[in-house]
Amino acid sequence: MSILLNKSTRVLVQGITGRIGSVQTHWMLAYGTNIVAGVTPGKGGTAVEGVPVFDSVLEAVEKTGAEASVFFVPAPFVLDAFIETVDAGINLIVVVPEHIPVHDVMKMKAYSRKHENRGLFALGPTTAGILTPGEAKMGIMPASLFKPGRIGIISRSGTLSYEMAGILSSAGYGQSTVVGKGADPVTLTTLSVILQHFDCDAATDGVVIVGEVGGVQEEEAAKFIADGMHKPVAAYIVGKFAPQGKRMGHAGAIVRGSQGTFASKQQALRDANVTILNSPIDVIDWAKRIS
Amino acid sequence: MKLYEHESADIFSGFGIRVPERILAVTPDEALSAAEKIGLPVVLKAQVLAGGRGLAGGVKTVATAEEAQAVAADLLGSRIQGIKVRSIMVVRKVDYDRELYLGITVDGFNGRPLVMVSTKGGMDIEEVARQNPANISSLSVRVDRGLFTFEARKLLNAAGFPSRQIPGCADTMVRLYQVFEAYNAMVAEINPLVICTNESLMALDAKLEVDDSSLFRTAKLIPKNHDRNESYLEKLGREIGVSYVELDGDIGIISSGAGLGMATMDIIGQRLRPANFLETGGAITEDLLYKTMDLVLTKKGIRAIFINLYGGINPIQEGAEGIVRYVKEHAIRIPIVAKALGNRQEETWDILRFGGVHVVTEVATEKAVEKLIELIELTG
Repeated sequence: MSILLNKSTRVLVQGITGRIGSVQTHWMLAYGTNIVAGVTPGKGGTAVEGVPVFDSVLEAVEKTGAEASVFFVPAPFVLDAFIETVDAGINLIVVVPEHIPVHDVMKMKAYSRKHENRGLFALGPTTAGILTPGEAKMGIMPASLFKPGRIGIISRSGTLSYEMAGILSSAGYGQSTVVGKGADPVTLTTLSVILQHFDCDAATDGVVIVGEVGGVQEEEAAKFIADGMHKPVAAYIVGKFAPQGKRMGHAGAIVRGSQGTFASKQQALRDANVTILNSPIDVIDWAKRIS
Repeated sequence: MKLYEHESADIFSGFGIRVPERILAVTPDEALSAAEKIGLPVVLKAQVLAGGRGLAGGVKTVATAEEAQAVAADLLGSRIQGIKVRSIMVVRKVDYDRELYLGITVDGFNGRPLVMVSTKGGMDIEEVARQNPANISSLSVRVDRGLFTFEARKLLNAAGFPSRQIPGCADTMVRLYQVFEAYNAMVAEINPLVICTNESLMALDAKLEVDDSSLFRTAKLIPKNHDRNESYLEKLGREIGVSYVELDGDIGIISSGAGLGMATMDIIGQRLRPANFLETGGAITEDLLYKTMDLVLTKKGIRAIFINLYGGINPIQEGAEGIVRYVKEHAIRIPIVAKALGNRQEETWDILRFGGVHVVTEVATEKAVEKLIELIELTG
């Protein structure tokens, strides 16, 4: 088992004919992902890596039964593509691109809220995607670092989720699913929602949160963990040495005043009985304890 | 990107928000003539992109034009919060009875604009929030609906704004929301909005921070050619397409992701002092890493370089070519440790090793940092 994605999930790739879209389609197929269609407006009727390309999402859904979509769409067009995808009935959307206007993301989030009841779940923007080891991946995660197992990972950063998974894998602890929440100031889902999925997943023993300075996501997640999370949680927060007011690569990683600091995040999580990892490698001891 | 106060004031004014008469001066003589033109007394406000400007001596009221000239001469070229003052806004002095606060920010958690108002204007709003959160009233706005004047009136009423001023303040609030939308702002703030002695409203300060990711559509609305308060190296980084933040240590860092870069910075920071944060994002090329090496080594006194890359979206083997070409062409002798994992990692390791870079193949960055420390101790 896993959360959200498995080897039978019928995946659509949007922006499949682009430079990044086509290369990543190759890697996703190589991993075993069940990619059934691609969409690039104006390129319908062609194929990429043997995958049929359609002009619209609705057409792709009608002809192939696609049920999940991963975006490699240029940032200025993501809002449009997102609304199209929601309207076409897709319920798992992974928005990989970075540099999407925050005001567009607010509109996307508002639109996805309206469709929550039907089970819509969206990740990103600025996410490496979602990967269920040994089954499927939607996104850009490099496959070699992940191994099947029973630990869930949620990360704001892509590269750091690879590091955390890689450390666990090399110590013999595999992962159930690895989820990139996205690193923007506004993201389409919250840590708590993903934690809830893991808490209900029979194949997950515990969850590692990889957070970073900026925003209040980790603080809000701490409330959820304290109130109703049953499984053990560990957290690693980066940005201890981040200077105030500087954007640390990710648009969401800015410390503003007293909010979103390294200290406030660690404190909130510690108060919720989360194991605080001082360094990524400490995750091995935690995994040993809970396994 | 933060805009200067004078730029924000011009924008607010264009949306019908009342701001005092003002002239920008870059020389003491310009300050003198601006003071004469506006009429005395005037306030001189140093234009720097930093908070706490008033306390740091960047805001001065003067009674004569000569005094304006002298104060401007002192201020121009001086440093406020470490930032050099290059221009001064000369503003008509306004007499007022009360200071209020209006602001809009992006609430990252809810993904909605958050409108905030307070009758405790003129102070740092974070400080107001710390002292007593009840002093700030806020409203979460639905982006598909926008902010209506009646909602602003209701909010201001709940916040205890003087009732006679509520219609005017609500009108200003809605105009500020229009600015927020039009400029794809992260923050739009008037602190303070004052009630003048003649009971009119005036925005005595103007703050606007726009979303960097929206610049492709808002740049045409924003004044160009301004130094935006980056360090020289940060500007170089932006120009070559990487995020660089200068720190005060001597170990150069290159990473292919923001989270990884911060983790690297934190792990190195436990034992050594990082010289910078740097992340390439997902656009690594041979040329980019060549230029990135040059950027990191432009900072004086770098003792070693630590490179941390993942090949997910990035062709790390191409990046490795750029690194070793730089090392060869510039005969770099300081220790360079690299960890590079993911797609095509073996090929990447071969390139790096052949070019004289120490490669660590374990996953944990901690192990690679241990190698770095070992090498630094060897070289003294």
